[in-house]
Amino acid sequence: MAGKNKVKKTAQARNEFIWGWLFVLPTMIGLIVLNIYPIIDTIRQSFYKTGDFGIGDKFVGLDNYVKMLTDGEIWQALLNTFKYAIVEVPFSIAIALVLAVLLNRKMKGRSVYRAIFFLPMVCAPAAVAMVWRWLYNSEFGLLNHIFHTDIKWVSNPKTAVYCIAVIGVWSIIGYNMVLFLAGLQEVPHDYYEAASIDGASGVRQFFSITIPLISPTIFFVCVTRVIGGLQVFDLIYMVMERGNPALEKTQSLVYLFYDASFVEKNMGYGSTIVVFLLVVIMILTVFQMIAQKKWVYYN
Amino acid sequence: MKFKKVSAILLAGLMAFSLAACGGGSGGSSDSGDSGSSGGDGTLSVMLWDANQQPGIEEILADFTAETGIETEVQMVKWDEYWTLLSAGAQGDSMPDVFWMHSNEAERYMSNGMLLDLTDKIAESDKIDMTKYPEDIVNLYSYEDKYYAVPKDVDTIALWYNKTMFDEAGLEYPTADWTWDDLYEAAKALTTDDVYGFACSATNNQAGYYNLIYDMGGYVINDDKTASGWDDPNTIKAMQYFEKMIQEGIMPSQETMSESAEDVLLGAGTIAMTTQGSWMLAAMKENEYIAANCDCVELPKDAATGKRVSIYNGLGWTASANTDMPDEAWQLIEYLGSEEAQIKQAELGVTMSAYEGTSDAWASSADFNLQAYLNMMDDMVIRPYSKQTVTWENAVNEEMKKGWTQEVSMEEACKNAAEVMNETLAEENE
Repeated sequence: MAGKNKVKKTAQARNEFIWGWLFVLPTMIGLIVLNIYPIIDTIRQSFYKTGDFGIGDKFVGLDNYVKMLTDGEIWQALLNTFKYAIVEVPFSIAIALVLAVLLNRKMKGRSVYRAIFFLPMVCAPAAVAMVWRWLYNSEFGLLNHIFHTDIKWVSNPKTAVYCIAVIGVWSIIGYNMVLFLAGLQEVPHDYYEAASIDGASGVRQFFSITIPLISPTIFFVCVTRVIGGLQVFDLIYMVMERGNPALEKTQSLVYLFYDASFVEKNMGYGSTIVVFLLVVIMILTVFQMIAQKKWVYYN
Repeated sequence: MKFKKVSAILLAGLMAFSLAACGGGSGGSSDSGDSGSSGGDGTLSVMLWDANQQPGIEEILADFTAETGIETEVQMVKWDEYWTLLSAGAQGDSMPDVFWMHSNEAERYMSNGMLLDLTDKIAESDKIDMTKYPEDIVNLYSYEDKYYAVPKDVDTIALWYNKTMFDEAGLEYPTADWTWDDLYEAAKALTTDDVYGFACSATNNQAGYYNLIYDMGGYVINDDKTASGWDDPNTIKAMQYFEKMIQEGIMPSQETMSESAEDVLLGAGTIAMTTQGSWMLAAMKENEYIAANCDCVELPKDAATGKRVSIYNGLGWTASANTDMPDEAWQLIEYLGSEEAQIKQAELGVTMSAYEGTSDAWASSADFNLQAYLNMMDDMVIRPYSKQTVTWENAVNEEMKKGWTQEVSMEEACKNAAEVMNETLAEENE
């Protein structure tokens, strides 16, 4: 009896096993072909001096890494990338959070406002960058025209990276806001009622109820935005011309990677830069994972 | 829990990687899905990078289809993405059938066997005679005594000036007899609070400072392409001419020129003079302000050497080595290089043509003194190039920017440029 049962179970288990794998397979194949294989190949390439068109790769050991780490350009690019992320991430999160809270109340035209704030997310990044490039233009731009100033927004090496970060903040707010809105919907109303009865002000409620309860969402947005921020490329690529004197103080790691891999056709060195970026992102993510224990509350 | 954490980190890394891996692609190749390999259905795919030339080229291609019955399909890809797409296509065996080639990149493609060898076909052809094209341009697209492209066009440089501003300042228009010193004097006189006399940005090499360098007897790269000429005293002297203009405020700042190119500044009435290549004609024609107020003239000479050099370059029509339709592709290239199509290209005002004596029609394709560009063909120097032109050119541009912003003196910038360029050349010749 027991034996028969066991056999039956095994048959079912095997069935489930096969079907389970069958369902996972498409995703797994996609991951392997599109992500895992390229990762391994990129790491492999970073140890090679790649030939033209993938022909004649030559193993050079750590040469690419030595070249990269001794080149001031990469550290400057890392600094630029951090500067960008330090503006983009906190501001886009803080502003989006406030907006989400405001737009979570019952009010007239709520969905219109939500749509408006989400609009930048729908626009192609290239189009967004073109418009901002014109706004920032020091000769003919709208900003200088309105304020009657003569500021070189995106060609002054001291400010350019922050001006680009502003574009980043503007384009990502809507997306963050939608995520926060979803988080806010989960917060039970009773808490606010109880807090009101106890006499807590709106601000107090925001810090003592809202933030702790949506901290998992904040954490998620934080992690993904840090990664996204460190990968900034399109804005810089679209806004900065090659002749721009501020380029050196603006170019991000991904920009350097693009330049090395696709402009100078040095895939090996480009791969090295990406591996470096990967390590940086991993380290930062580990820190965030550790830090989350201090401030993220899961129910 | 531990496993979860590790996998979360891995996942984060994965996102980082896959995003970075397609970073280049997102820059441009959104419409590249079917870039090449359309040979199967009997249509030749043609790729080019200049939207200004597209309508004219399409007209010529229509003639070709009418004559031979071979269909063509044009794909316009912007310069930056063009080379990304083409090298990806070369690697993935899906290049377009027929496309433009440029001196910056030609050698990489030829030496790796990516282009169709046209030598025998040219020898058999009665339409194509390689002696009818400028020798330098034929050489650009030859490798180990084999031809890989038929020249498409030539381009030269001329000086553009704002007639209205010269009138208001009571100055004579520039003439073919001008020296660079005359240009300096005029530029100085034309500079006011709102207007700069002249503009040439730190990245405008071919249409800008290269010309003066060769006028003054300097050079950018030596003949066997092993050493940089950026530290040559004459080269430095030429660059100091521009340094003087920067210091005296006759030129806009590099910041301004990087945000708005010289042709934009000319079209906005912000500058009085600039040098521009013949390939800019379509843009100049379309700008109403330039059409009404501006004209062009030969570049100035150098007073000491008496030389008036135009840096020149020319594109070539080439085909993929792996095209499914090599015969049809050759027919198209043969047609495009023929005297008939070259004349038509000039007549339509697309560009000056490479075929001997066919460019005259181009000079009357717009209401500017375009003869100046043709006259500049009397003394031409091919745009400096080597196998990895782009690599050292970009590195040199970085150094020049520092000279333009006066972070370092121009002399120092030139010497630094020579150093970085020599490094690249040494690597290239290993």
